[in-house]
Amino acid sequence: MIDNPYRPFAAEIIELRRETSAEFTMKVKAGADFCPGQFFQVSLPKIGEAPISVSSFGPDFIEFTIRAVGTLTNALHEYRVGDRIFIRGPYGHGFPVDKFRDRDLLIVAGGSGLAPVRPLIQKSLAGELGIRSLKLIIGFKNSEGILFSQQIEEWAKKSDLTLTIDKAEPGWSGKTGLVTEHIKKFPKDNLKNLEAVVVGPTMMMKFSTAELVLLGLKEEQIWVSFERLMSCGIGKCGHCKIDYTYVCVDGPVLNYPHASRLID
Amino acid sequence: MSADLNRKKVTKNAFRITKRRNHTALRVRVPGGHITAEQIAMIADIARRFGDGNMHITTRQGFEIPNIPFEKMAEVNAALNPLIEELQVANGVSFAASNSGYPAAGMRNISACIGNRVCPFANTDTTAFAQKLEGQLFPHDFHVKIAVTGCPNDCIKAHMQDFGIIAICEPQYDYDACIGCEACEKVCKRKVTGALSMKNGKVIRDARRCIGCGECVLACPTGAWTRNPQKFYRLLIMGRTGKRNPRIAMPFLNWVTEEVVIQVIRNTIPYIDRYILRCLPKEHIGYIVDRTGYDVYRREVLENVKLNPEAKIARTMQWPGYDTLNDANMRSADYWKG
Amino acid sequence: MNSYSLTRSNFKDIFDRLSAEYRLFGPKRLAGRGRFSDTDLITCDFLADIDELEFEEKSFMSPKSVVFPADETTFVFNEEEFKEPLMRDQREIIVFLRPCDINGFARLDKIFLENGDRVDPYYQRRRQKIHFFMIECSSSFENCFCVAMQSNHTDNYAVALRFDKESIEIQIRNDHFNRFFESFGTKSAFTPEFVKEDAVKVELPDNDEMPAEIFNHQMWSEYDQRCIACGRCNTSCVTCTCFSTVDIFYPDSRTCGERRRVWDGCHLDGFTEMAGGHSFRKNKGDRMRFKTLHKIYDFRKRFGFDMCVGCGRCDDVCPEYISFSSCINKLGSTLKGEKA
Ligand SMILES: Cc1cc2nc3c(=O)[nH]c(=O)nc-3n(C[C@H](O)[C@H](O)[C@H](O)COP(=O)(O)OP(=O)(O)OC[C@H]3O[C@@H](n4cnc5c(N)ncnc54)[C@H](O)[C@@H]3O)c2cc1C
Ligand code: SF4
Ligand code: SF4
Ligand code: SF4
Ligand code: SF4
Ligand code: SF4
Ligand code: FES
Repeated sequence: MIDNPYRPFAAEIIELRRETSAEFTMKVKAGADFCPGQFFQVSLPKIGEAPISVSSFGPDFIEFTIRAVGTLTNALHEYRVGDRIFIRGPYGHGFPVDKFRDRDLLIVAGGSGLAPVRPLIQKSLAGELGIRSLKLIIGFKNSEGILFSQQIEEWAKKSDLTLTIDKAEPGWSGKTGLVTEHIKKFPKDNLKNLEAVVVGPTMMMKFSTAELVLLGLKEEQIWVSFERLMSCGIGKCGHCKIDYTYVCVDGPVLNYPHASRLID
Repeated sequence: MSADLNRKKVTKNAFRITKRRNHTALRVRVPGGHITAEQIAMIADIARRFGDGNMHITTRQGFEIPNIPFEKMAEVNAALNPLIEELQVANGVSFAASNSGYPAAGMRNISACIGNRVCPFANTDTTAFAQKLEGQLFPHDFHVKIAVTGCPNDCIKAHMQDFGIIAICEPQYDYDACIGCEACEKVCKRKVTGALSMKNGKVIRDARRCIGCGECVLACPTGAWTRNPQKFYRLLIMGRTGKRNPRIAMPFLNWVTEEVVIQVIRNTIPYIDRYILRCLPKEHIGYIVDRTGYDVYRREVLENVKLNPEAKIARTMQWPGYDTLNDANMRSADYWKG
Repeated sequence: MNSYSLTRSNFKDIFDRLSAEYRLFGPKRLAGRGRFSDTDLITCDFLADIDELEFEEKSFMSPKSVVFPADETTFVFNEEEFKEPLMRDQREIIVFLRPCDINGFARLDKIFLENGDRVDPYYQRRRQKIHFFMIECSSSFENCFCVAMQSNHTDNYAVALRFDKESIEIQIRNDHFNRFFESFGTKSAFTPEFVKEDAVKVELPDNDEMPAEIFNHQMWSEYDQRCIACGRCNTSCVTCTCFSTVDIFYPDSRTCGERRRVWDGCHLDGFTEMAGGHSFRKNKGDRMRFKTLHKIYDFRKRFGFDMCVGCGRCDDVCPEYISFSSCINKLGSTLKGEKA
């Protein structure tokens, strides 16, 4: 079988970074160019396979930021630099970067939802996407859970960035409150030229998108990224289907008018 | 004219001595407890014509027709002809229906649960098996109780019989058809013995734990578990109620074929004949085995039996039950006031 | 197109000649292997002998397993590489099946060959070897509703067969098969007929958009209690294509194992379970709704025709007497605002 989309290829781990107690970023050697928001099927023989978003990429590397929650992700946690993992992809439709050109971009990310938007942030800030301005609202449950903290500091220097944790904590001098509260404070002028991206846990996405609509944004201006159980990543296994939509091939990034009408 | 009866002959003819002087009750055999509407009408007709119109359904699935005057016995026996024709002769007994009623009453009616003609759990047609046993074993005079049940749920209470026959199945696994849904593993764990476990998304069956109930077959959505069409049985022996030592029957043979079951029960008849204490009015088979010991029983009834390769034989035998003599355990109300 | 009338013994000879060149697959009766004792299981499997072909009854399992086995090894791996297993038998495959099932393959094709713009190579390598030998339905079976699903008819067959008491009538559409039949039997004018009416009447909702209320409608809640999530309706369905991927390892090897794909189904527990144990469709009623809408609504929205072919197997096999065709009708009444 020459053309087998299920066949994974080996990729060597070239760097590992601990992000939080449960999350780590794994950089592998693999050359690729793709769209922010896409994902790979990552696997370890004997353990299994799971979809993992690309949390950064360059001409010769891909990064995955992984939360250890189960069989595969825990096993990946044990891997060291020099070991090889297996990957196949990229899969799915990422963020519509062409539509973002010359627009103002607001990215609202909650928790591990920051991973799939990270390449979008990086490319935007690097000026590769021709975005007019970038605003970020990034929320975490608590300070322990903050991902990419160093980079967030750097991004803050180059963009209008709000970093918030849900509740005040001793030693935390930054902003607090759910991301929705910070969306409320978003200036209402010039919404016409705005595109908004919302990625995070299901409930967070639900309330954030509602808040954006309240703000006056048209549904068409909002983009979300979905997570569903996936087995194949290529529209065959049926696990990720919602209504007529296959999250793995039509998504994971979906325009809100489409996404909001999908009922599991 | 005063009645002058040969009591033993009457009893052997399936008429019993009853409380009411000069009146008897007839025991009608219904092997497997299965009967047509026409047959039941024939029994009813006997009750109407010769008794007082009452019938009693026995625990062994036969009928007792009470209040028949002794002088009607000959007529009753003649009226039994068509029933004996259909329920005994048709099943292959060695005698003909000849106006003389039942030739023996020692071996009790062979009962059976409803079996696979109706019940989804049943591993065999218990009615057919009971009828076959009737043909092979009836008549003889020794008091022997037999029941056939379709699965280890044991709805017919095979555990209370001299011979309790439990139909079991050997579940066979089609590896390729199994989708690893775990339905079989769960049902066996929850309802049965936990004979199944999952490994690599497939099922492993511990044959020593499997009791052959067939729950896994019922649970499997893809037909990965099916019954081996070769049928198997577990034969429990020497359970009893009674005044001295009630106890439940225990497994003697496991995974044996129908032929083995029938042969073993048939071999038990000459064994009884050899060992029964004739000084007693009647000695139940269980008490005979108590006297000779299980080893002797096992050896003698298995002689000349061609066991199927799957067959397993109990190494030792102990029957859980209790001695009715043991009064020391019973205390009057004062004791409990403490 | 040629038609012939054959005797049983002609057909046996032809079957044997076909067997020499092709693998034959079709409904097969496994005596005593039914769910209940002393009942038979009619499955679909490879046939070694003409006597194994069950041409009278509808099969419990569908013929989809010929292209999409219940459990298929996709890779054999060690720590270095993933290798596809070879398909050892390279012969072409003749499948005996009924019109609804032939139409079912068109649904399978959509998913495995087209959806997501990717071809599933495991499906394809079997699919391209397949020739349909259609068994004519003289009348429909207990739960069939193929007419409602417009899948009672097809021209997509190499050979059509009618099994009469004495003779077997055949029509050959794929001339390639003429040579097997020419020297047997007598020429005839046989053309297969298709059932025009089923006992089960289904009125298909033709909504292009399903109103949002339907998704949360209380009509589904009765299934919360009734359905036991056994998955039979999915596994027996000729058009269900869902699977899960599992890795297995050989207990005695430190390095080797297999990646497999195994049938899964939207009625089974775990189908939508995410990290942390959250399931998108915990209630059986939601699963029933999801299946129903996939079969008769959203597949059509994506591919232009309905997924369900009305083979009625889901009704045949449901241990809880849940009737899918009745459910479609209930949905129809609900949509019309009638009380279901
Ligand atoms: C498009 C997409 C992108 C994702 N990106 C990331 C990412 O960047 N980083 C990350 O850590 N995780 C990501 N996930 C989630 C990740 O795929 C799951 O957490 C993963 O399946 C866990 O695999 P496991 O073998 O460790 O867990 P398992 O032991 O298989 O499962 C643990 C639990 O997770 C459930 N599960 C299985 N698959 C999924 C799934 N796809 N999503 C959620 N739960 C699942 C299982 O049913 C079980 O309840 C993404 C998921 C999707 C669909
Ligand atoms: S037959 Fe009964 S005991 Fe044996 S594996 Fe199946 S469910 Fe368990
Ligand atoms: S019920 Fe059947 S399919 Fe499910 S795990 Fe058991 S054998 Fe496999
Ligand atoms: S849903 Fe039911 S009737 Fe429709 S194709 Fe599947 S099994 Fe057949
Ligand atoms: S009905 Fe369910 S199992 Fe069948 S194809 Fe659709 S989602 Fe998959
Ligand atoms: S076959 Fe019936 S009980 Fe089983 S999952 Fe389907 S609808 Fe539910
Ligand atoms: S992950 Fe298999 S269809 Fe989407």
